[in-house]
Amino acid sequence: MGRYVIRRLGQMVVVLFGATVILFCCLFVLPGDPVGSLGGDKARDPAVVEQLRERYGLNDPLPVQYGNFVKNLAQGDLGEDYTQRRPVTEVLGPKLVNTAQLALAAIVLDIAIGLLAGLIAALFRYSFWDVLITLLTTMAVGFPSFVIGMVLQKVFVIQLEWVPLISDGTMKSLILPAFTLAILDAALVARLMRGTMLEVLRADYVKTAVAKGLPRRTVLLKHVMRNSIIPVVTYLGISFGSLLGGALITEAIFNWDGIGLALVQAVQQQNNPIIIGVVSFGVGVFVLLNLIVDLLYAVLDPRIRLA
Amino acid sequence: MRGATSAKWVVGAVIVAMAATACGGGDDSKDSAGKGGGTFRLGITEPTAIDPYNAQESEGALVAHNLFTGLYSATPDGKLKPELAEAVQTSDDGKTWTFKIKSGTKFSNGEVVDAEAFIRGWTRVVAKESASDVAYPFDGINGYKELNGGTATPFAGLSAPDANTLKVELSAADFEFDKKTVHQAFSPVPKAAGPASNKAYNDAPIGNGPFKMEGSWQHNKSITLVRNDDYGFEKAKLDKVEISILNAANGATLEYQGFQSGQFDWARMPTPQQSVAKAKYEPKKQWVEADTSGINYLVAFNETAPLNNPDARKAISYAIDRDAIAKGVFQGLQKPATSILPPSFADTYQDGVCTSCVKQDKDKAKEYAAKGGLKPGTVLDFGYNTGGGHEEWVQAVAQQLKDVLGLEVKLNGKPFKEALAQQQTKGTSGLWRSAWGADYPTPDNFLFPLLDSGSINPDESGKALGDNRGRYNNPKFDELITQARGTKDPAARAKLYQEAEKLAVDTEQAVIPLWKRTQYRLAATDKFTNVKMDFFEDPNLAEIAAK
Amino acid sequence: MTELTKSTSVAGDATAPAKGANAEAEPAIARVTQWGEIRHRFLANKLAVVGLGLVLLLFLTALFAPLLAPHDPYAQDLTNTLQDPGSGHLLGTDALGRDQLSRIIYGTRIAVVIGLASIFLACLIGIVIGALAGYFGRATDSVLMRIADVFFAFPLLIGAIVIIIVMGRGIMPVIISLAIFSWPTVSRLLRSSILSVREADYVLAARALGADTRRIIVRHIIPNSIAAVMAYAAFSVGGAIVAEASLSFLGVGVSPEVPEWGNMLAAAKDFMGVKDFLWTYPSIAIVLTVLGFVFVGDGLRDALDPKLR
Repeated sequence: MGRYVIRRLGQMVVVLFGATVILFCCLFVLPGDPVGSLGGDKARDPAVVEQLRERYGLNDPLPVQYGNFVKNLAQGDLGEDYTQRRPVTEVLGPKLVNTAQLALAAIVLDIAIGLLAGLIAALFRYSFWDVLITLLTTMAVGFPSFVIGMVLQKVFVIQLEWVPLISDGTMKSLILPAFTLAILDAALVARLMRGTMLEVLRADYVKTAVAKGLPRRTVLLKHVMRNSIIPVVTYLGISFGSLLGGALITEAIFNWDGIGLALVQAVQQQNNPIIIGVVSFGVGVFVLLNLIVDLLYAVLDPRIRLA
Repeated sequence: MRGATSAKWVVGAVIVAMAATACGGGDDSKDSAGKGGGTFRLGITEPTAIDPYNAQESEGALVAHNLFTGLYSATPDGKLKPELAEAVQTSDDGKTWTFKIKSGTKFSNGEVVDAEAFIRGWTRVVAKESASDVAYPFDGINGYKELNGGTATPFAGLSAPDANTLKVELSAADFEFDKKTVHQAFSPVPKAAGPASNKAYNDAPIGNGPFKMEGSWQHNKSITLVRNDDYGFEKAKLDKVEISILNAANGATLEYQGFQSGQFDWARMPTPQQSVAKAKYEPKKQWVEADTSGINYLVAFNETAPLNNPDARKAISYAIDRDAIAKGVFQGLQKPATSILPPSFADTYQDGVCTSCVKQDKDKAKEYAAKGGLKPGTVLDFGYNTGGGHEEWVQAVAQQLKDVLGLEVKLNGKPFKEALAQQQTKGTSGLWRSAWGADYPTPDNFLFPLLDSGSINPDESGKALGDNRGRYNNPKFDELITQARGTKDPAARAKLYQEAEKLAVDTEQAVIPLWKRTQYRLAATDKFTNVKMDFFEDPNLAEIAAK
Repeated sequence: MTELTKSTSVAGDATAPAKGANAEAEPAIARVTQWGEIRHRFLANKLAVVGLGLVLLLFLTALFAPLLAPHDPYAQDLTNTLQDPGSGHLLGTDALGRDQLSRIIYGTRIAVVIGLASIFLACLIGIVIGALAGYFGRATDSVLMRIADVFFAFPLLIGAIVIIIVMGRGIMPVIISLAIFSWPTVSRLLRSSILSVREADYVLAARALGADTRRIIVRHIIPNSIAAVMAYAAFSVGGAIVAEASLSFLGVGVSPEVPEWGNMLAAAKDFMGVKDFLWTYPSIAIVLTVLGFVFVGDGLRDALDPKLR
């Protein structure tokens, strides 16, 4: 187990390295000088451009730039953003909190809606509710988040005026974007839950438990639930990882001041330190959560041995 | 330059230009005194900086102008209004300016505002370490190169013969230097400011303006201003100004929604919603409209085929139906421009100076195209920056060029920085959409940067680093600009600028004007009186009063 | 990537491990089945048949777009902008007076081309790399799978945006950028199938009969693993269409004059509450298309592995 974790951590570093190198190369070959202008049509004074290029080490060859990035990263320093010239960590910090709020809310909704729906569908297989849930969850996958987001916005913000368009930091303004993000995941969780539960219900140990006269509730809780939940946990863990990396479209539609929105804007402005910061974070969290999920998997299901 | 600033272009508000006849809005007549007090609330997008050393777009200017008072301010129609400059003397050669500074005014921390405070402020902007984006207006002052290049520390051209006298020496004649000082970069700063790298001051500047900061700038959240009761001039009436910072991706939509729900007292609107908003708010007198000091135009690359001759460029201009696009695409809320100088500069404005801009003329377009070698089937690159809401109207222009001249127009949308890089590259051809806004109310601020050969500023590789990216190069035009700068008499000077504009924009069609810069705002005139849009397209906070 | 990788990766929610679950911990899946039986099971699934119908409808519309569209999708009419749906224009006109219905009809072409081409490309890369990894194992496997991990961990949209900015906007860059970040799922799927099938009875039998490894891979393992890849592919075309529309929605997809659904939505979003028809119809087109592919993908998966239904 210990060696497995160490090996996986090693792989993680390799992946992070690969992803950041690719990113650096792409950003490096992008036409346009990242400090050549601000947003406007006016070019920056060449003297200022030169000063800034020097300040940010943009005249160095790519490997040197990358080396500096790694060196600073090791000290928790992601550099300074090119527009406001503030530390990237300071700029992204509050945005990360916002994104995490959104991700958490979405995951809670996923669990609540997804597990319940999956449970009902599996327990009452082929009933009206099962058919309805199966249909809805299949449909949900077909709705892109921007369509869901725009529909929700139209209905609840513009038509009914229940929710303010401008996020005021309250739970109320969190509902729509969280829901937009959660619909797809909840549908998938429900499908997953239904599928695995049906499989588990057929398993011999469940039949044995029922046969030896254990109360239905005990069988469900102790045997069925525990074993069905494993793939769901896996899925949710990984999903949470990608949510933390920022939900670009949803954040853009709902003006959620998270790192996904920051990323979209940074790409438009070639604000490289922000791009690098968000992407490295996203990749890192994603890989880390993968590892955690795999470990959790082993804990929940003792049959799985990690080697 | 604030015409097409970062904040605006992301927003999707189509930047389409013009100048200030400052109409609409406030019901100023009856009780413009108001009863005083009150909190004015508005939303802006996150500024680059509010410290005058690097405040640049209209959002940053809004805060800086209310925290600081300089030598002069600009009225909405581009006139100069003296503030701390009590008297001014200009030498006959136009190179030495001496300002008498009003004595006895203070910064909000108690420090006195004197000539030294100005020298301190200006030096701080230009100093090399500051790497300021707004140092360029100072470049005519002696010693600019040395200070900005880091080879000398004092600003050689500035001196204080006595505590309240500021002497400015320029390297070349400029009889409009005083107008430049309305830019927030020319603010005085107290000793407490320290260098530009002083983060505490960057986020909570101490100034001498009608308002002062309450707490620090809460990035991406808010900036709060309160009345400065020790202000050296007529005090503001509002108690407080609450500025919410909105996501740039959708700023105008959020401002509009906020206004509708009563969260804001001043707001922009997304372009597609404007006609609906106008119908709703104009009858309530809550609609503010102004032609501001900016212009939307097409850069034509003058050095490279196919637009390397005036006839080809005139053909393009004649082929565009500005009226149809203004009505069809902009729902009548943008107005065609027929000059590069905005109508807000009343002394120099020449309506219709660009003959080809006045009305679409298909026959003339074809005639000039034939003369200029712009054959049907010619490939014409037409670039624009993405994320600025330009997608729609550039397609309309492209279609008209195809229909009238049979050109093969290649639309090319790029994010800002790549767009800029391509415009700068030697050999780029065709057209590029662009916009320009005045930093200070002088025609020179349009004609010199956009059309003077001194603003091409090529580097070794031939990249045009200046703002004259169309590379218009005419010694005669350059001569007129130099002459105008050295002409003391305002009327004679205006004539020279007009002559220069006619030469570049009509005779040679170096650029192709499209639309004036018309700005629309909503203002809560039911709660506040005397609400107007200022020269920088911001609300005139210092004069607004609660009803 | 969040919203998007999910939709592209979920194909495997039953056939394949959830994304990211490491190969070491994966159960075996694909099984040998008769094609006739598969087809029978597929056609017995009502949703799958509906999906097939939607997909066919999409293909036919794309093929016959010039015959179906009442107007030229590029023709502007500045005197007739933002017309509500009505007699002249069934679904109204956009801000440049172009006929919405015609643009939606022509939009099927971009959707089909980009959706199919990007997933085809992704499958091609994925199958080759997955097969190589599964076949050679050991160091080759490690290296290839780490490379796959890198592209897998990259946020799809951002990766795609960066590539498009480097390559310029257009159909090819969109296809390539989507493929580059979608292949790892395919190669993981194939690799894990190969690993599990390797120990299957029929392979062991073949080996016992003296067949060499290469022959086993090509003749037995790939055909049996490919089924899982196909189910994934059908499902993912929907995801790719969503991703492509998302890129346009964010303003980096195909050029804005091209009749494409994401472009239409991007242009329409500021008209929300004023001209809602501008975004509702293209949205419906996207949803129906994606649903079609999702149903087909689901149906295929169930037909291939019926024990879960």
